[in-house]
Amino acid sequence: MPRHPLRAATAICGLGLTEVGRVYDRTPTDFAVEAVRLAVADAGLELGELDGLLVSAGISSGPDLSLAHALGLPELRLYTQMNAFGSTAGQLVQYAAFAVANGLARHVACVFADAPLVRGESSGRAYAGARRASRGFSGLAGAYGYGGPIPWYAMAAQRHMDLYGTTQDQLGAIAVSTRAWAAGNPRAALRDPITLEDHRASPWVVEPFHVLDCCLVSNGGACVVVTSAERARDLRRPPVYVHGMGQAHRFELGRADLETATRTPGALSSRTAFAMADCTPAEVSVCQIYDCYTYTVLVTLEDYGFCEKGEGGPFVADGRLGPGGALPTNTGGGELSSFYLWGMTPLSEAIIQGRGDGGARQVPDNRRIVVSGNGGLLNHHATLVLSPEAS
Amino acid sequence: MSDASPLLEPDERSAPFFEAAARGKLLLQRCEACGAWHFPPRRRCSRCGGVALAFAEASGRGVVHSHALAHRASHPALRERLPLALVAVDLEEGVRMLARLAAGSPPVRAGTRVQVEFEPLGEGAALPIFRPTR
Repeated sequence: MPRHPLRAATAICGLGLTEVGRVYDRTPTDFAVEAVRLAVADAGLELGELDGLLVSAGISSGPDLSLAHALGLPELRLYTQMNAFGSTAGQLVQYAAFAVANGLARHVACVFADAPLVRGESSGRAYAGARRASRGFSGLAGAYGYGGPIPWYAMAAQRHMDLYGTTQDQLGAIAVSTRAWAAGNPRAALRDPITLEDHRASPWVVEPFHVLDCCLVSNGGACVVVTSAERARDLRRPPVYVHGMGQAHRFELGRADLETATRTPGALSSRTAFAMADCTPAEVSVCQIYDCYTYTVLVTLEDYGFCEKGEGGPFVADGRLGPGGALPTNTGGGELSSFYLWGMTPLSEAIIQGRGDGGARQVPDNRRIVVSGNGGLLNHHATLVLSPEAS
Repeated sequence: MSDASPLLEPDERSAPFFEAAARGKLLLQRCEACGAWHFPPRRRCSRCGGVALAFAEASGRGVVHSHALAHRASHPALRERLPLALVAVDLEEGVRMLARLAAGSPPVRAGTRVQVEFEPLGEGAALPIFRPTR
């Protein structure tokens, strides 16, 4: 197979992460400005050298297309706002890479920021049905008791359990291994180890999900800068090359003939990315998998081909994903235990591992890093294959 | 939102659906051009693009796609009834419908056959719910 022209043609040269978590009194735009400035400085660039800016907002208000003004960037060659929910970050990198590889822009900043947490209110309230509609058909789901995304993902997980015999403890194993990684990440919100017993004793939210099956909610911002592979080699930090990219979307609701719960767009997205990277799951050394829920990790690993469909439960149950395991996964503690900045959580950790900056949690083999993003109710997906190696 | 706020208020577009439910009938939307069934209702058929869509009575029979037990609810009226047995039903018409299981239903799993029932929702309106059949 001929080498794909986009394989390792671009690289991530800058990473900016603001303080994350229960950080109050700052707007999403404040976080976005800081994240961009941090990423540019990290790359060793001047802010004025940015000629592309791709903006992604979460569920609170902003950032939006006023961001260039807030940053004092008078002229850009690439500038827009994009949203495919949790899969957006991986997609921003793709559009940035397309532009850079074709000479339409040189240094493109991809930024996400959100501030859904309000002082004195619970994390759950930020995403749950506090704002639910109560009129007409748009109020129907709420009238049954569906509020926020949790019931939908819980039902997806339950179908996997019904079809394949997946167990509570197998989902719990993901929560446990992810928390074990978080212990090595000073940015992680939850760093105390947990056991399967802790997972079983954790309160129910929507069965089959306990609290410990659900991700955090965080305020903060993150930015990555994409440039050409050649340019990246001249900059301050080691390049993390973009070897493979893919995305897939499925947005037909209400059709009974679609297996939406246990088969996600991750299958098509990863196939595209692995083909570009000329890489198979067996060659992947570390995974950063979008973990809005424990189940999202399990179903994504299956759809990516790390194991057969339906075998995700036994696959994750033996400590394979944790420190010292055969497939280190979510090495910063993921969205379950570190922080939740949509697709920037797995992407930022992939860059840290790709540079060898992981400290206590650095994996020994970082040659092929898979990053997934998942958005909506398993509707949108993005995959990246990254590597510190230029070929 | 006060404690007295209704769980759901029908509007002009949805009133026929909720009123039919109060009379024991499940209505779904059907495309008059190609016959495809849809729910929740939409303005345009996603199969053929047709814009003539009308409510028609559905079988009310289906199988459980999946289910979950909610231990939290935002509305006070639902909070009194926790946990809530949420269910997604694949109806014979090819539509996947979100709903709740009827009180006292036996446990279900993916593939369990269910039949529609109706739960009162204020004056002259009802909510379709489902109960396993033998």
